[in-house]
This record gives sequence, structure tokens and C-alpha cells, in this order.
Amino acid sequence: MAKPQEIVVRTMGDVSVIDIKGDVTSVTGPPIEAAYRQVTTAGAAKILLVFAHDCYINSGGIAILIGILSESKKKQQTIRMTGLSSHFQKIFGMVGLTKYAQIHPSEAAALAAF
Amino acid sequence: MAAEKKYEVHVPSVLGCEKVAVEFAASVAKAMHFSDDRVEDLKTAVAEACTNAIEHGNKMDASTKVGITLTVADGHLRVEIQDQGSGLGAVRAPDLESQITGTAEPGGWGIFLIKSLMDEVSFESTPQGGNVVKMMIHLER
Repeated sequence: MAKPQEIVVRTMGDVSVIDIKGDVTSVTGPPIEAAYRQVTTAGAAKILLVFAHDCYINSGGIAILIGILSESKKKQQTIRMTGLSSHFQKIFGMVGLTKYAQIHPSEAAALAAF
Repeated sequence: MAAEKKYEVHVPSVLGCEKVAVEFAASVAKAMHFSDDRVEDLKTAVAEACTNAIEHGNKMDASTKVGITLTVADGHLRVEIQDQGSGLGAVRAPDLESQITGTAEPGGWGIFLIKSLMDEVSFESTPQGGNVVKMMIHLER
């Protein structure tokens, strides 16, 4: 039932980029957390989460992202996000995630904002 | 006034099966000419209610079912999602600040989203045992 998930880590200058394709739920969250730990261990201070436009994100996935944002706050990292559909941009705004991680209209815009 | 039309589907209590209910609800809402934004709201609310029913109501027991009933009426769509579990009890509203600072565990956003996205929501216990989430979404908001 879940969409095949693909998490890719790459760097763009001094920004660590995590590409997220597929479901973002409590079940599929661990690989995203692992990618975050990987870039953090490598010393990332700037992290960009790039969601595929058709990502399915539920409240379990939101909890995973909150956990990552909580860790990033402690480590004084900056996290930005892009790729979200207008619906999930609205959802993230309702929850308040945008207070801790800005959403940008494109990867280029997000990278330029760091 | 047109007669109400009722549609019903049951899915097993397996995570991922909520997507069947989501697509079912979305297809009915699209046929009623809800806007794309409102269909997305409905999809999220149905997904969250079904996930709660699977995880918390039916405790992921695959032998149990979650029932989804859609009632189409003039100007609105009524959705009822029923599990076979015991009552969920009081659910505290999540607080993002405390979850970010680590004084609370991240989570608890499902019911928040349902209440935020739907026009009317109630949580009830059924006489046969089980929880039912009743949601209403209006064509005009």
C-alpha cells in the first residue's frame, strides 16, 4: 500500500540536501531520521528537505519531522523545506512547523535563502 | 430535496489500508464537485481518522475491520469512520513548542488535523462497542 520510499542524501555547496520520495509516516520515518543523523554526523549546519510533490504525509510523518526539528534546534542547525504541495504547505502551517523550518517554492530559492 | 445516498466500505486494520478509504472518499467528493482543495482536506481527515481507528481503536488487529460510511446529501458529505475498539479517552491538544523543546513526545496531530480541516466533527462510542468519528464537509464554506 505504501509508495516505494527513496531517500537520497547529497550536498549543494555547504548545504546538505535530503531528497524524500514516497510516504512520510511513522512506518516510513526511520530512513528519514537515519538520513538526518547521517548528515548531522558529517557536520551539517544547513539542511534542506526536498519532498517529492506527490508525497503522502500523515500525522505520524509530521511527528517524525518534529523530532528532527527538535534535534536540529538543539544542534543549532538550520532546516528549510521545498517541494511540498499547496495542501501540505497549508498543513505544515496549521501545525506550526513553518515557525521552525521555512518552506520555499523551489530548491534554488531554498538554497539561495541559506 | 434529493434523497440521501449512502456508500459503505470496510478495510482491514492494517496500516496502509487507510488509502483505500481515502481514495473512496475522494472519488465521491469529486463526483459531488468539491474543489480540489477541499478534496485534499477530506483525504487528510479520512486518512487520519482511519489510521487512528487501525492503530488505537483496533490495536492493529488485522482480524478487525474499520468501517467507512459516506452519506451524500444536499450540499454536504457526511463521513463516519468506525472501529471495533474501546474508547480512546480524552485526547489532549498537541503543543508544538513543548514537542520541539523535548518536554513532550512528538505526536498527537491526527485529531488536531481532523478538527482543523472538517466543518463538523464529533467522536462517539457506539452501543455495540467501538468508536465512531463523524465528520461533515460542506460544499460551500
